Amino acid sequence: MQNHDANTEAASRKITIDPITRLEGHGKIDIFLDEKGDVKQAYYQIPELRGFEVFSLGRPAEDMPQITSRICGVCPTAHHMAATKALDDLYRVEPPPTARKLRELIYNTFMLEDHALHVYILGGPDFIVGPDAPKEMRNVVGVIGKVGVEVGRRVISTRRRLRELISYLGGKVVHPVFGLPGGVAKGIAPGDLPQFREVAAEGLEFARFTLQVFRDIVLKNPEYRELISSDAFTHPTYYMGLVDGDNKINFYDGAIRVVDPSGKEFARFPPRDYLEHVAEHVEPWSYVKFCYLKKIGWKGFQDGPASGIYSVAPLARLNASGGPATPIAQEAYQEYLSALGPGPVHHTLANHWARVIEMIAAAERMNELVHDPAITGTELRVLPTATPTVGVGVVEAPRGTLIHHYETDERGRITRANLIVATQNNAGRISMSVDKAAKGLIRGGQVSEGLLNRVEMAFRAYDPCNACATHFLPGQMPIALRIRDEQGRILRELSR
Amino acid sequence: MKPLLLALGNDLMGDDAVGLVAARAMRQEMPEGWEVQEAAGNGLDLLDALEGREKVLLVDAVCTGKVPPGTILEFGVPDFRHLAAASPHTVGLPEVMALARELSLPFPSAMRILAMEVEPVMAVREGLSAVVAEALPRFLERTRAICASMAAAP
Repeated sequence: MQNHDANTEAASRKITIDPITRLEGHGKIDIFLDEKGDVKQAYYQIPELRGFEVFSLGRPAEDMPQITSRICGVCPTAHHMAATKALDDLYRVEPPPTARKLRELIYNTFMLEDHALHVYILGGPDFIVGPDAPKEMRNVVGVIGKVGVEVGRRVISTRRRLRELISYLGGKVVHPVFGLPGGVAKGIAPGDLPQFREVAAEGLEFARFTLQVFRDIVLKNPEYRELISSDAFTHPTYYMGLVDGDNKINFYDGAIRVVDPSGKEFARFPPRDYLEHVAEHVEPWSYVKFCYLKKIGWKGFQDGPASGIYSVAPLARLNASGGPATPIAQEAYQEYLSALGPGPVHHTLANHWARVIEMIAAAERMNELVHDPAITGTELRVLPTATPTVGVGVVEAPRGTLIHHYETDERGRITRANLIVATQNNAGRISMSVDKAAKGLIRGGQVSEGLLNRVEMAFRAYDPCNACATHFLPGQMPIALRIRDEQGRILRELSR
Repeated sequence: MKPLLLALGNDLMGDDAVGLVAARAMRQEMPEGWEVQEAAGNGLDLLDALEGREKVLLVDAVCTGKVPPGTILEFGVPDFRHLAAASPHTVGLPEVMALARELSLPFPSAMRILAMEVEPVMAVREGLSAVVAEALPRFLERTRAICASMAAAP
């Protein structure tokens, strides 16, 4: 806050924004030291958005795809789709094939676009610029410096074209109006199909190109490869993800599959049964409920097969499935497995590699769908007639399994709403990752340089959703890290 | 392209909506030729809204924690020069401006930012708090004045 300049003007006051002013309420890390000055436990506080359930009560269930998509400016399409699927379930209605394919098309387009944003812009500073790059380069300018202006322009233009497709079907990307119980609101006019095909082809080429960028910049760097597989960023846990009938990854639909740390199937169940498998643990220091596998139980912040902590997101999806369903992504997955496998990959930083593979998978699925004759069909909806009671909808959001669960009265008004977002599924593992990074870097009260970088990398690989929806002008959700002694007194604060 | 009044915010998030409320109130009385848009505030959406424009006034809620809620703050482009390190999750105005600069994208030469300080919002609710609602007329007054002065500038 050293730049605070409180010059008063006639109608307004001028103050200077500096990074520290951007910290309000976001991403707090507390590191507690023992009497020897070693890390006893580090906690990552993910501020939770509150009041959603109360806000939903009494509202028509049909409003939920719009309401939930508006709580998050980053992944509106994921909430919109999970809510829409919960409505299908609520009214016991299956969308016609064209509607289902259109939903899947829009959803894969969104996955590709969102993953690209993370690879190049959000996560890029860690693995494109490099973990030990100077602080002033660990940002978007550093990324452009490394990949070049042409690639930067390509990222921006491809993203824009992908979003045009989403807008075509769903109106505004941030407030999509597309999914309805039993179908969708709009189809593709045959005359517009060439645009979809062209963008899908461009998207696939872009995803393959991104894999090459990843190979050239990250995989050719032995230090980075070593870091990926280092113990500090490794946790053998359970993994969860949606799979199709062949146990291949499906972002839009399927059964929820959980594998144990050795890769063996632990559970496979329809989304509706999630409460039989997932429970939430509460810690006094956090609003976030930590999800764990009910049948194993909460055993504290421990990894291994005896602990119920599991993980979602790209790495988890590859582990929980038999890999992607499409050939080019499958090839990329084999390359990944031969470097990090054979079994489940437990290296948190491999999330970035897994994300690139998923970009290819999403782009290939887009291409399949835009060449499917049913995609320009006109039967877009089956009207629901059943009396509503309970509906559960699940999709794989870019950041992992997203569950929407609504209960209603017989008129379809919400009496209960429960959302489990990806970051809640990951909360236990994220906390362990932060704790492990801190333990490796603080000894005898001495804090190694680079602590903040490494701790940030530990959680950013998961792309955590810190708080759906707050859009204050600075637009940032960086972290504040506090090191406390055994009495809980703050010894040092680091922040961005 | 037309001059733009761009409101950022989320109207399910209480005071975060103050920019949207202001922009809706201003729709009927904007200077000739101005456009009004709302954006959800994810950074790259800003890029879409701003690219190719010359004059832009951005209205939003801000949460500096340094001044009382309801305080009206004005910023210029230089106030956002400082890039944060990578955010865990999102892209802000400083990053969008840096991207535009690095990629030589056409970006507003005249951009002003008017913001109202609000309390951190961590609960879903509709409607503005009393203190923000009370400050709204002054916020609108300032919006009008800035638009008029930007409209008059060459």
